[in-house]
Parts: sequence; structure tokens; C-alpha cells
Amino acid sequence: MNATGVIRTLLAGTAAIVTLGTMTGTASAQVVTPPGPAGTTAGTVITNTALASYTVNGVVQNATSNPVTFMVDLKANLTVAPLGGNTPVTIGETGAVLKYTVTNNTNGIQDFLLTFNQSFIGGLFTGDNFDATNVKIFVDSNNNNQYDPTLDTATYINELGADKSATVFIVADIPSDQAAALASVTLIAQIAEGNTPNAAGAALVSNALTINRDNAIDVVFADNDSGFGDAANNGYGRATLGYEITTRNVDLSIVKSSVVISDPVSGIVLPKAIPGAIVRYCLIVRNATTLTPARNVNLSDLIPANTTYVPGSITVGGISLGTDCVLDGLPLSDAGGTVIPATGITGSFDSTAKQVKVTIPTLTSLLPVAASFRVTIN
Amino acid sequence: MTTRPMITAILATTAFIAPAAVAIAAAGPLQITSSIMVEARSAAADGTTRVTLEKPSRVTPGDKVIFVLSYRNTGAQPLANVVLDNPLPKAIAYRSANPGSPAPEVSVDGKTFGSLASLRVRSPDGSTRAANPNDVTSVRWRLASPIAAGSQGQFAFQAVLK
Repeated sequence: MNATGVIRTLLAGTAAIVTLGTMTGTASAQVVTPPGPAGTTAGTVITNTALASYTVNGVVQNATSNPVTFMVDLKANLTVAPLGGNTPVTIGETGAVLKYTVTNNTNGIQDFLLTFNQSFIGGLFTGDNFDATNVKIFVDSNNNNQYDPTLDTATYINELGADKSATVFIVADIPSDQAAALASVTLIAQIAEGNTPNAAGAALVSNALTINRDNAIDVVFADNDSGFGDAANNGYGRATLGYEITTRNVDLSIVKSSVVISDPVSGIVLPKAIPGAIVRYCLIVRNATTLTPARNVNLSDLIPANTTYVPGSITVGGISLGTDCVLDGLPLSDAGGTVIPATGITGSFDSTAKQVKVTIPTLTSLLPVAASFRVTIN
Repeated sequence: MTTRPMITAILATTAFIAPAAVAIAAAGPLQITSSIMVEARSAAADGTTRVTLEKPSRVTPGDKVIFVLSYRNTGAQPLANVVLDNPLPKAIAYRSANPGSPAPEVSVDGKTFGSLASLRVRSPDGSTRAANPNDVTSVRWRLASPIAAGSQGQFAFQAVLK
């Protein structure tokens, strides 16, 4: 009974779906799918034939005209626009990203060649006083609008369909120049031939001055003057964004504390600061400026008078509680040369100057860094 | 006696088929010629802009094209009840009658013809709305008076390439 019931329901459902499908089909057949804003695809042949009916002495006759045709030519057009605004950067930052979109407004599938220009001075970006270095251009491969160095490696836009957009990243380094304030970078996209699946097509050339070829697709540029040195109907589009150095100073703080670890008399149980006792010094450095990392933070600390440095006792990344180090971190060799994985922290002990040095490449507000070393009281 | 009616019948049949076959080959008394033109603007000597029609050279989406229908009665009899019908190519959107040409009747379904204002379009959800030029799928002209032997004329309408 149950089984039959299920089958019946399924059959009824199928029947209902079929009916719906047919109805939808009829409705959509009446609505001709119009082409997108880019228009009828280049190369389409438009054919027109007229019909006539008439009567001769009361007998109905029909006539058909000649078919007349023309071929749709290529209306090459593109839009280059900033995606978001200027990128806030800090001095010395590497791999800073600017984002742009390139839209294919051409009635065909095209490639787009990408270049950049930093020298444009248009007054729009007043304060532009430096150039970014190591500038590279990459295309977003997975449309997530996030630059991923391992995935986004293409340097031109390949086979972009009509009315489709691609995100383009400009990735550059910011020089360590205190005078730097703003670097504007103009992305220049140029329409190129499509149908070159594994290579960048050649730049399109306008056929405006050649005689029309009836059975070939002529190229007509229809792009606007997008500013920043562009001109209309040249097959190029431009957009400009800047790297803006927003924060020069970060709120760095350093807290130093010491704790006696052991003494020769009591050992580690309630040790006292008597000659021969081992003291651990703890330096905790914090960045209180949110979103702006401090770069290349150098810590240096002189060994106090009447103490002797315990060789090989520098550690970084230990666990800290308030102002105290609770547990030592990863050891650094006294001679330098140890690089802590991921953070890139380095350090050394200068026995001549009796100085402990630690360098932190990036210090964010999220993660304070603790460094410790030990001395023996003379 | 028996042979003659048969021959007559065959002749009659042939006579009946022949014009039809000719009509299909578009060589009947009414010859219609379709042509597609574009407007070419040139500066005349007196400083005005001259607009001439020429064969379509570069046509890209959004460009205006003009469809011209010429007819001519090449027969010896007047042709009555003449209807010239131009179903629009898919990528062509109707705009208006060309200046100087009578306005055609238009259709949004190829069956019902009338003025654009009198037509409505049924949406997929069943509701209807007033038709606009983009909905037009076919245009036609009905000639009120017969075309005399040897006379000719033409109609034209403007459209854009989608």
C-alpha cells in the first residue's frame, strides 16, 4: 500500500514537472533571448527576406524577395575601473596590492593585454611623490577578488566573453623612504584578438581607414577616453589607484622585567638575588596601532653591570603573562644566523658591547613578541 | 474524342502549375527586392550635412540600418490586394518608418498586425504590457489600390542592430 502510494506520488510529480516544462518551453519560445549590452556577436550574418501576396484576376499569388545579407562587425570596447579605493601601506611594505576590474564591452570574445604607468601626473592624485618598485600585474584566476600568489599568475586576460569582467591586481613593493606619501599606478588594458586559448592575442587594429570587407569582420573601436592620458577609440582603457602611506608612526611599547630563576644556595626554591644567582630578563614589545604592522623592530638591551651573560640564553616567542615571561621561546644562537620560521625573527649577542639584539620583521597589534635572556650575578 | 479531353486536361494542369512555379522562383508579375542600407553623412558644399543611403559597410551593434522594399509589377495585369510582409531578422530591432515612406503595420507575434500602440505583449507570468518597438517581429504594408501594369514603388523602415 505504502509502496504503491509512493509510486503514484512520483508519477504524479513527474507528470506535473513535464507539464511545467512544456509550459515554460512555450513561454520562453515566444521571448527571443536578446543579446547582452555588447550586442550581436561579431561575425553574425544578418539575412533579410521580404514576402508578398497579391491577386491576379482573383487568384492569390505569392512572391519572395531576394535574400539580402550583411555581416556584423566587431565593436571593440572596454571599461577599466578601480575596484575599491587606494591601498593603505606602510613604509617598506612588500607585495602591496591594488585592485582593478576590466570589462569586455566588445561583441566578441577578446584577450586583454595589461601594462602599467607610474609617471602620469594629472593633478588628480596630488601628493604623488614616489614610485612603487617591483611592480607586477596579475589576473584573478578564481574571481574571488583576492590576490593569491600561488593561483593568480596570468599576466594578461585570456578569452574574456562579451559583457564579462575580470579582476586585475597590481602587486608592488613600497620603498623604505620616509618622504614617501603617495604612489599612483595607472593600469592600462588593451583589447587584443580572442580565440587564442593558450596565448595572448595580438592587439586589435582598427579597420576604420580600410575599405569595408563584406565577408570579413571589420574592427571598429568604440572605447571612451578614460582619462589618465587615454584617448577615445584607440582600443585602450585606463584606471588609476594609489598606494597611500597612511600611518608613519605606530604606538610601540616595550616592557622589561626580571625574575631570579635560581641561586647557588636555595636552588630553584625561592631563589634570592645573591652572587651566582641566575636572573632571566624579559622584554615584551607590543604594537598598539591596529591594522598597521610595525616593520623591522630592533630590540637591543645592554647586559646590566655586575652581571655576566649566560651564553646561548636568548629566546624569542615565549609565553608572556602581563609583564613577565612565563616560559622561554625558541632559542637564537649568540652568533646570529638563526631565523625563526614564519616570523623571520633574528637575533644575536654582541660580546664586545655586551648587548643582546633581536630584530622582528613584522610586529602586528595582534601578537606581542616576548624575548628573554639570562645573566649570572657576579 | 477520348484523346482530346485528356490532352486538354494535361494542358490545363500544366497551365495551372506553371504560374505557381514561376511565382516560387520570384519571377512572377510582382517582383520585390529587399535591400539593407545605412545612412552616410557627408558635408555638402553649402555647409549642410547631406545624408545619403549606401550599402552597409561597417555595421556594429547599436548602428541604424534601413530596410528598403521595392516592388514592381512586371506583368500585363493589375495586381490587387498586395501585401508586402517583412519578418525581421532576429538581431534587428524595429524603430520607425523611414521618412517619406508610409508607416507599416507591425506585429509582435507575426499573426496580429496593427499600429504599435494597439498591440500588447504577454509576459511569461501571464500579464500583458504595451508593446514597444523592440517587441516588433514583423512589419507589413497593405496596398489600398491595385498596382497597375508596369508601375512600381518602395517602402522603407529604420531599425537598429541589437
